[in-house]
Amino acid sequence: MTLVEKILAKKAGKKIVKPDELVEISVDRAMIHDALGAHTIAKFRELGVEKVWDPSRIVVVLDHYVPNKDIDTAKKCLNIKKFVFEQGIDNYYEVGKGGIAHQVLVEKGHVLPGTTLVGVDSHTTTSGVVGAFATGIGVDEMAVVFKTGRLWERVPGTIKINVEGELVLPMMSKDLMLFILKRLGISGALFKSLQFTGSTISQMSIASRMVLTNMAIESGATNGIIEPDQKLVDFLRTRTNHSFELMQSDLDAEYVETLEFHTDDIKEPMVAVPPKPSNAVGVTEVEGTRIDQAFIGSCTNGRLEDLRIAARILKGRKVDKFTKVIIIPASQEVFKAALGEGLIATFVEAGAVVGPPTCGPCMEAHMGILGPGEVCISTANRNFQGRVGDVTAEIYLASPATVAASALKGKISDPREFFQEA
Amino acid sequence: MKLKGRVWKFGKDVDTDELFAGRFIMGGDETSQSRYQEFIATSGLSDVGQRENVPREFLTRVEKGDIIVAEENFGIGSSRQQAAETLKFRGVQAVVADSIHRIFFRNFWNLGCPAIDLPGISAEFETGQEIVINLGRGTIKNLNTGKEFDFSLIVPAWFIDMVEAGGLIPYHKSRTP
Repeated sequence: MTLVEKILAKKAGKKIVKPDELVEISVDRAMIHDALGAHTIAKFRELGVEKVWDPSRIVVVLDHYVPNKDIDTAKKCLNIKKFVFEQGIDNYYEVGKGGIAHQVLVEKGHVLPGTTLVGVDSHTTTSGVVGAFATGIGVDEMAVVFKTGRLWERVPGTIKINVEGELVLPMMSKDLMLFILKRLGISGALFKSLQFTGSTISQMSIASRMVLTNMAIESGATNGIIEPDQKLVDFLRTRTNHSFELMQSDLDAEYVETLEFHTDDIKEPMVAVPPKPSNAVGVTEVEGTRIDQAFIGSCTNGRLEDLRIAARILKGRKVDKFTKVIIIPASQEVFKAALGEGLIATFVEAGAVVGPPTCGPCMEAHMGILGPGEVCISTANRNFQGRVGDVTAEIYLASPATVAASALKGKISDPREFFQEA
Repeated sequence: MKLKGRVWKFGKDVDTDELFAGRFIMGGDETSQSRYQEFIATSGLSDVGQRENVPREFLTRVEKGDIIVAEENFGIGSSRQQAAETLKFRGVQAVVADSIHRIFFRNFWNLGCPAIDLPGISAEFETGQEIVINLGRGTIKNLNTGKEFDFSLIVPAWFIDMVEAGGLIPYHKSRTP
């Protein structure tokens, strides 16, 4: 069996499972956030049960509306906090304590290899980076998980994404993922799992790998997963005291498909043109496209290495006079580290606004909403029509390097010119 | 279990941002069902008219019991259940599509509304035609053309009971000891 099949078999109490088989699994972690938390709680109350199945398995992170933007938002967060007190949930991240849920779950060691995580958010797939089964569900299902600790799942057949070769800056894992999505399409992995393997993945930092599992959902995948290796174990040792089991795909595992990629085939930094994450083109094809906003952040690309690469490009320079440049660290921990390294000062000196850790203009939640006809280049994960504001606004997706280079010129720009000396 | 209704034909790639825009997610008072339903129903598909994949007159003419027949990639995107709720609260009783994305698929069923994926089905229907879905037998029939199509679903056996109970929450409530 593949890794995801082994996890689901174990959690369903079965010896073996096959693709498309229906199983009922036990849930090790359940995450709600401010955007759908109050909705989940209302559904849980409708069920008429007093107590959740296991408060120690629930993680609550306020992340979409940080700090609260209006009375509706504040009211819903109050409801969530009341529930947290009432149910005795310890894993609660108040404004200023956590960051974006998908970052916090990994950073704080809440998700362990070989376990299951569900969240009321499609990008819950991010946590598959630790070799866990991690997926998104709706609020009705989460209410039932809160009651029973169990969930039905259709076992996803595994598509193996094997990547060989070296990624040399300014090429980043985002460029690779946009390249992979171009081949898969937005439904290429529907009801399937993406398992990322190969020398390129082995060489990547945990942060870079998270870009792949994060955007697995953009191919329709149930989940994305990476087999645990020593790098992951070393990372987790600094994050948790809990013991964990290291599972791998069997050598004779059956994959529904194996797709081979080589970094040599990615000729230039990639940009996904609106309105689909799978619409990747080389940056030179869209170079010069005028932008109104540049956003670096989100659960896809708001980590320290992303901010470092942005700072390397922005240091000592000024962003375009007429471009709104927004930079948002993915968590308080990332924010603090960026402060320590002087990255935040670099951003402010360059003329960017730096926001508190939150989802920001990845979606139409709270900050950096786009007006009619505005064009944004973003490090986030979706560029659907109307995703971040007016339906006529356009969103291009790219790496932090490409977005930083574009911020300087006020138009989509190739970051390679900033790396010629290297 | 049989569902009969009038068809609304949708195009491809109807995503969750289109079905229910992010700006409305924190609206709606969940403590009052009637107020909540009204808000969710009227906030959905807010940009219809500027999109090619949803008929312009859908919001003004949709009626209780109507059924959407869509092209591929229906419900792509977010886990926001409001994307499914807004269709239900407008009266849509089922969605049939060439393909349906996983979270929307689960969310819509969980509201007690069947979501049926059958590659190629969208080419067999036009807006205004009559459709009959037989869940037990696994068939979809176009009453205007007389053509019938078989489908097979990969969903738990208890889903039919859940639909009859009115959705996942009422179904679980009835099972609470």
